[in-house]
Amino acid sequence: MAPKTRAQTRLKAATKATASTAFTVPVNSWFRFLENQSAQEIALPVSLLFAILVRWCISLHGYSGMGNPPMFGDYEAQRHWMEITTHLPPSKWYFYDLKYWGLDYPPLTAFQSWACGYIANLINPAWVALGRSHGIETHASKLFMRATVLVLDLAIYVPAVVLFFRLKLVSASWAARQASIFTVLLQPCLLLIDHGHFQYNSVMLGFLVWAVYFAAREHYVAMAIAFCCALMFKQMALYYAPAIFFFLLAKCFQRRHGFVLFVKLGLAVIATFSVMLLPWIQSRAQLEQILVRVFPVARGLYEDKVANVWCAVNVAVKLRSIFETKDLLRLATAATSLAFAPSCIHLFIVVRRYAGKQPGEMRANVLRLLNYSLVNSSLAFFLFSFQVHEKSILLPLAPALLLINDESWAVNWFVQVALFSMYPLLFKDGLNVPYAVLAVGWSVLRSCPVCPADKQTPRIVFVLQWLTTLAMVALHAAHAFVLPPKSLPDIYVVLNVVFSCVMFVMFLVYFNYRQFTLLSRLSKENAQLGKQKSE
Amino acid sequence: MLSANDLVLVGVGLGIKLLLMPAYHSTDFEVHRNWLALTHSLPMRLWYYEARSEWTLDYPPFFAWFEWALSQAARLWDARIVDVNNLGYAAPSCVTFQRLTVIGSELVLLWALQRAVRLAGGSVSARTAAVLGFLSPGLVFVDHVHFQYNGFLLGLLVLSLTLAMEGRDLLSGAVFAVLLCFKHIFMYIAPAYFVYLLRHYCAVYRPRRRLDVGASAARLMALAVAVVLVFGVALGPFVALGQAPQLLARLFPFKRGLCHAYWAPNAWALYSLADRVLIVIARLRGTHYAASAAAAATRGLIGDSAFAVLPAVPPLATLVATLAAQLPAIALLVLRPCSPVRFVQAVVLCAYASFLFGWHVHEKAVLLILVPLGLLLVTGPPTRRVLRMFAVAAVSGYYSLLPLLFGAQELPIKATVLLIWVLCALVLLKSTGSGTSAWQCLSALERAYIVGHVPLFVLTELAPASLFASLPFLPLAMVSTYTALGLLYSWAGLIFEYLC
Repeated sequence: MAPKTRAQTRLKAATKATASTAFTVPVNSWFRFLENQSAQEIALPVSLLFAILVRWCISLHGYSGMGNPPMFGDYEAQRHWMEITTHLPPSKWYFYDLKYWGLDYPPLTAFQSWACGYIANLINPAWVALGRSHGIETHASKLFMRATVLVLDLAIYVPAVVLFFRLKLVSASWAARQASIFTVLLQPCLLLIDHGHFQYNSVMLGFLVWAVYFAAREHYVAMAIAFCCALMFKQMALYYAPAIFFFLLAKCFQRRHGFVLFVKLGLAVIATFSVMLLPWIQSRAQLEQILVRVFPVARGLYEDKVANVWCAVNVAVKLRSIFETKDLLRLATAATSLAFAPSCIHLFIVVRRYAGKQPGEMRANVLRLLNYSLVNSSLAFFLFSFQVHEKSILLPLAPALLLINDESWAVNWFVQVALFSMYPLLFKDGLNVPYAVLAVGWSVLRSCPVCPADKQTPRIVFVLQWLTTLAMVALHAAHAFVLPPKSLPDIYVVLNVVFSCVMFVMFLVYFNYRQFTLLSRLSKENAQLGKQKSE
Repeated sequence: MLSANDLVLVGVGLGIKLLLMPAYHSTDFEVHRNWLALTHSLPMRLWYYEARSEWTLDYPPFFAWFEWALSQAARLWDARIVDVNNLGYAAPSCVTFQRLTVIGSELVLLWALQRAVRLAGGSVSARTAAVLGFLSPGLVFVDHVHFQYNGFLLGLLVLSLTLAMEGRDLLSGAVFAVLLCFKHIFMYIAPAYFVYLLRHYCAVYRPRRRLDVGASAARLMALAVAVVLVFGVALGPFVALGQAPQLLARLFPFKRGLCHAYWAPNAWALYSLADRVLIVIARLRGTHYAASAAAAATRGLIGDSAFAVLPAVPPLATLVATLAAQLPAIALLVLRPCSPVRFVQAVVLCAYASFLFGWHVHEKAVLLILVPLGLLLVTGPPTRRVLRMFAVAAVSGYYSLLPLLFGAQELPIKATVLLIWVLCALVLLKSTGSGTSAWQCLSALERAYIVGHVPLFVLTELAPASLFASLPFLPLAMVSTYTALGLLYSWAGLIFEYLC
């Protein structure tokens, strides 16, 4: 953060100290305690070890499709891709037995599967034997699969988060930096999906955080490459594409040698894509097949129940029986574009023109704007686009968590609701206990309506957060103890979808509002600070 | 008083313990499930005769009643848990239930530590030591993964010690008697209790240090009545049924060997190592040794340890050695003015003696040393030497528990839990006066010893098993000898501190 905000926090700390020894957010208390005990050196190691411990403890529990033949679930899908990539040439990867978990992620996921499968083949070939390993669920093979997620998480996501919050632009004080690292590394939604349900989202989100980190360091070519990696790992990273695109475009227009940057970026993107697609690049049919596999338009507007607008509207209006799939695709695309456009255009205009009084201040604010825009763009995609999964809420969460120093209560609340929106999925995987532990843990350690941490939290937010927390608890209680009426067997899931969707729409509006008012807000705070100083 | 922030830390620990529920559990899990079943389904007179499972009831009666009480809830939770014939039942509902009973009963320890913190005036150092004591990695490994009820039992011990520090000697003695009727392993520290209660509670002095015989006799009577009452309630019904010999046979199975399944890091582990070294020397020099013992030594199995070169160790020898090793503890109470803190120190030394020299010592018994030693840090900031000895003892003692959790799945758990605790303890525990942290107090040699556990871990836990193909017992032997050194060293250091 800029020097100005540092002064601000000092001011805040002073007022807090005089106010009372009020109960603050426990995560912050822990790091303040370490600071008082002059034990700063253990803070980061303990946070990292604890992050590993919690991840591994979650992985002791169930996963998607456990013991559920013939198709199993996401766990088997990932394992199956290791199997086919290890034993088949790349030309067959996107064609092999498509009905049994055919590969439907971009090449970087395929390469990751290949690397993991290669190692698995060295340890125990039975884990990835072609065709004969379907549904293998031995204790050792499960440990191996869990370990691959942990290692990739530690290799890509964790260092990016640590480096990001160590930037002076982002964290004002030592305690704030440590608390942010701890919080973001232990964000329950990502932990439960990756280490419980079983996926490798932390790789894709890790690349995104790397991209944002490079943006903060003003290494735009590296930023573009990191983002391309995210995109080539999971196509869902497209949710961020508008924000990234307009940000980089604005940078090209802003600079004196913008055109050079533009060319560099273009070359970097083309080079990254070419390298990733190298095994298939000579055959048009292969490339088309990858495209078809990665963008399965035919699978319809949405699958299962997801807390986005289409699924929520569907409760009242049966969209899928009124419109054709093709029209729905157009409708969804138009709605998504409308939803992300304001944020991205604002980002473009401001970044292009904006020049703060101090270079540090400008960089900090541009970084904030980028993060706001990433949240808004990905949340717009989540709410309005075609073929959204409930897990995709992880995408808006990742950049939102990078804003945790600026938007403490909103992000805490957002995570709480996002976690709630995923519980039907998590319960299906037998992750009730980790869900409960992490939901309560997050509420107590971070969002904690009992202890409104920062005095800036508006009263209305405090009340609303209490109400929503009660609503979520009530829905859980009903789910656990009251059988749904026979005519409405899905009532709890539908209520969850409608509730979460409404909340997400509100968060989209709020984060857009915050993005648009960021600069005026900061200048107002600046003026106030100046006034206080002169007084 | 523990503050809200301390309780948050305890809550974080609770979260980890809940997440650990599906982790590995040892046969002790089935032992306790079987006890739930047999106390629930059989009349009391059959409890110590029931033998359908190989895991017969071999704890004293209060523990059996404890299982009986839990079994009432177990029946409501899942009736299959309490079926005597349902051997080896470990469905998720059963695991959850039993894990929850461990987590719940452990609150006794929290309560006892809370009392100790209040007694110490609730200083930051007392609260830190108490939270570190409650979140001990030993309890996580042994209770929440391996499966036992040490948190509950050690909670009773801490409660008894805290009562003594509060000056309530009679109640302290009674609680200890109750504890003995839960698990008789605590007999190891009975000598300290015996001497302390005699000197501090029973002996009443008139002015000019003359014994008030009448008042002393009255107190002795009171203590005797309390103890007899507790034992009467516990053992009486079984004695009345004429089951005393059966009870004794169950509680004291003398058939077991000198060293437990995995060698506890004590003097006998070093003795075994010396034997092994001598075998190698004998081989090199071509002298005679008992080849059969060297080959058939039952490393890794419950049974008699055989020695090839050194003389065999009969149980009596370990008893003599243990009693001799307890002399410093007794001397502490006899030669010095008797105070409650001295008493806790004597308990620690007593526990050390029986752990280091006892017959068939379980590695888990190291908790009996470390928990009271941790309590001493709650009572007041330790001196530099005590803090150093605590650091060495805690690291080596907790490390020595790692082989209990031998599966690959538990590897990240034991490594991270132990590292987190050690980092926090070394930096957050402060010595009296200057307030230097434990790590700063340590000498270069002690630091090297503590850090030496890292290569030990790499060698014994991470290296491929093929490395030890010809010597499968070697990793365990390395762990027990290395950690035995730390425990012996800290024992000597504490004796020096307390007595000199």
